[in-house]
Amino acid sequence: MATLNIIRACSVPVFRHSLKKLLIGREPFILSHTGANTLCKRASPTVTFQRFYAVATEKKVFQRDKPHCNVGTIGHVDHGKTTLTAAITKVLSDKELAKAKAYADIDNAPEEKARGITINVAHIEYSTDSRHYGHTDCPGHADYIKNMITGTSQMDGAILVVAATDGAMPQTREHLLLAKQIGINHMVVFINKVDAADQEMVELVEMEIRELLTEMGYDGDNLPIVKGSALCALEGKNPEIGSEAVMKLLEAVDTSIPTPIRELDKPFMMPVEGVYSIPGRGTVVTGRLERGTLKKGQDAEFVGHNKVIKSTVTGVEMFHQILEEAHAGDQVGALVRGVKREDVKRGMILCKPGTLKFVDNVEGQVYVLTKEEGGRSRPFMSFAQMQMFSKTWDMPIRVQIPDKEMIMPGEDARLQIQLFKPMVLEQGQRFTIRDGSTTLGTGVITKVLPKLSEVERSLLTEGKKAREKYLASQKEKQEKKK
Amino acid sequence: MQRLLHSSAPLWASLDKAMLGKLRKKTGYTFSNCKKALEVCGNDIAKAEEWLHEQAKALGWAKANKLEGRATAQGLVGVASDSSCVAMVEVNCETDFVARNKTFRSLVERVAAACLNHGKTLPQDNLTKSFLSADQLKTVPCGKEGGPLADHVALAIGSVGENLSLRRCALLQAPPRSAVHLSGYTHPAENSLGVGPVLCGRYGALVAFKATLDSAPKTQILGRQLCQHIVGMCPERIGDPEKDSPNPDTDSESVLIFQEFLLDVNQTVGNVLEEHDASILDFVRFECGEAC
Repeated sequence: MATLNIIRACSVPVFRHSLKKLLIGREPFILSHTGANTLCKRASPTVTFQRFYAVATEKKVFQRDKPHCNVGTIGHVDHGKTTLTAAITKVLSDKELAKAKAYADIDNAPEEKARGITINVAHIEYSTDSRHYGHTDCPGHADYIKNMITGTSQMDGAILVVAATDGAMPQTREHLLLAKQIGINHMVVFINKVDAADQEMVELVEMEIRELLTEMGYDGDNLPIVKGSALCALEGKNPEIGSEAVMKLLEAVDTSIPTPIRELDKPFMMPVEGVYSIPGRGTVVTGRLERGTLKKGQDAEFVGHNKVIKSTVTGVEMFHQILEEAHAGDQVGALVRGVKREDVKRGMILCKPGTLKFVDNVEGQVYVLTKEEGGRSRPFMSFAQMQMFSKTWDMPIRVQIPDKEMIMPGEDARLQIQLFKPMVLEQGQRFTIRDGSTTLGTGVITKVLPKLSEVERSLLTEGKKAREKYLASQKEKQEKKK
Repeated sequence: MQRLLHSSAPLWASLDKAMLGKLRKKTGYTFSNCKKALEVCGNDIAKAEEWLHEQAKALGWAKANKLEGRATAQGLVGVASDSSCVAMVEVNCETDFVARNKTFRSLVERVAAACLNHGKTLPQDNLTKSFLSADQLKTVPCGKEGGPLADHVALAIGSVGENLSLRRCALLQAPPRSAVHLSGYTHPAENSLGVGPVLCGRYGALVAFKATLDSAPKTQILGRQLCQHIVGMCPERIGDPEKDSPNPDTDSESVLIFQEFLLDVNQTVGNVLEEHDASILDFVRFECGEAC
């Protein structure tokens, strides 16, 4: 009976939800975002529960009427990042577009656990007339990196806060380096505290910041720069540099940070979870459609395990019912033509032909879990062998650490990863690395590197001696050339 | 010339602005301070610069007093070494952005170098391990530039605008012309900025060991590997093979000689030492931000 209850509790909301989706419109149950998407997937049972109970406690229902975008603030501790964030919520709450947050609620970013990793991060939400925003504020470099790796809210753009009284600080350079590292291409600058500075100073700060931005590889000359005082906005004084400046800043954010492409609008992609042979019908592959839409008659391709198999989708089903069009987020079964059950393996990706490639040499940014987070107590070094898990596949890999001699638990680092067999991996894809039964760390792919040569591939499984011998011979060859 | 400028207000303002910009670019002090300097010195840029340098210490101290008490949980461990003495210091700051910054890094390097010099002035007959507290560190004289370290910290606070603190220092000294070797290491082992041979990282280790290896580079490599092991495996004590026994759970082994050697898991540290006919006399490990 107890078991039955649990099953009911689990399945009812899920089923209801899917049913609702089938009946009313085709609004997909996914956030328009990879990061949030992953989170959804990981936490889906909990999410459904919450939604189910939410009705009873009359929690506010999230309205998906505006496109979503994630932004964050970066800048020196005393330049008013937190005051600005509080001011934004205050100004927008006057228009009933946000819930006003006090300085203290945002400050001392609360500890959060995402994918087992502890991050200090404050998440705030608000809307402008045109978009809905998730706003991230972290105290340190490492926290932004962890945020990027776990993908809880991948920042699409950033607001750099600089005080007019101080100008850029020595560490503003490090702030911009971080922004580059976590892939932020769009930036808006807010020059704060203009009430404490005079016009000339503000102009000079603007010049200086533009110069620095250009030097760090941003379009310094054309980036929007807004000047104002977050404190005035928060206290409701001097509207021309207070609330009006904040509105101007939000307008700049609205227009200069593009909305990320929704998963639904991308070419379809489904990691294969199971393969079944159904007598009289053919081969059916199941999995969760992560991107795009899938329907009968579409050409498709299976990629992975060093193979590409062409096929056509001849039917799509969900809950044993025929589905005209599956949307990103749906758990579906796809009937495929001309493919034998033995040909397709779990871990391959069903996708639109030509959109995905298998690779065996990538670079990623990883965070290594501490013992308290469930990781190991000892560091690991270059040439260690471990198992990589991503989507529905797992594969042995060998890692190299280009910047350090070892990675301690609790550290993040750049990692070069060589796969024993080529699998589908693309920039921005998340993965976990494990050694035996312990999870060592989690990461995100930052770059796809050139394919391994035959020799390099054969060396993957060789020991230290063979590797060193090969490297020595390569060195000799080079010297001879000289 | 001056009268001409004074007669037209907009021109005067633009000159003021140009000077302010120039002064800021040249000195790197905050805009507010540069402006104040120009006001005090009647818009004489050379005098203003001098004034700023003179005031820097006072301004730094003022800022330092203002920020005092704010938590400093980030920072760097710096290691400076020579053949008879190794020094390891921890300097803290508020955010890891500053810990990555050049200004802060150069401060840590100066502090480590100053502590090494300070250590060399102490008498040394035996192998000694000593620690300097935060208060003792403040009064250590800083080599070339002169003045106590506390002044240098105040200057850096004025520059980065964050609370900084000298946390602790460990010194290992070996008697001259003895068979005792000293070694120091930090992780990550970042390249020095050129203020002497100083390493900076989040973790650091010092080790004193006896070894009779046939060449100096080999001894150095062994010392470095032992330090790296200490950083990575965090042993609590050296241990004595006659008195102690290995922990049955190798992963939670805290006695150094029984730990699996970090660079070769097939051997214990004891095996490695035996192989090189070496013994570890003492060690210190710092982890930035840890409770001590």
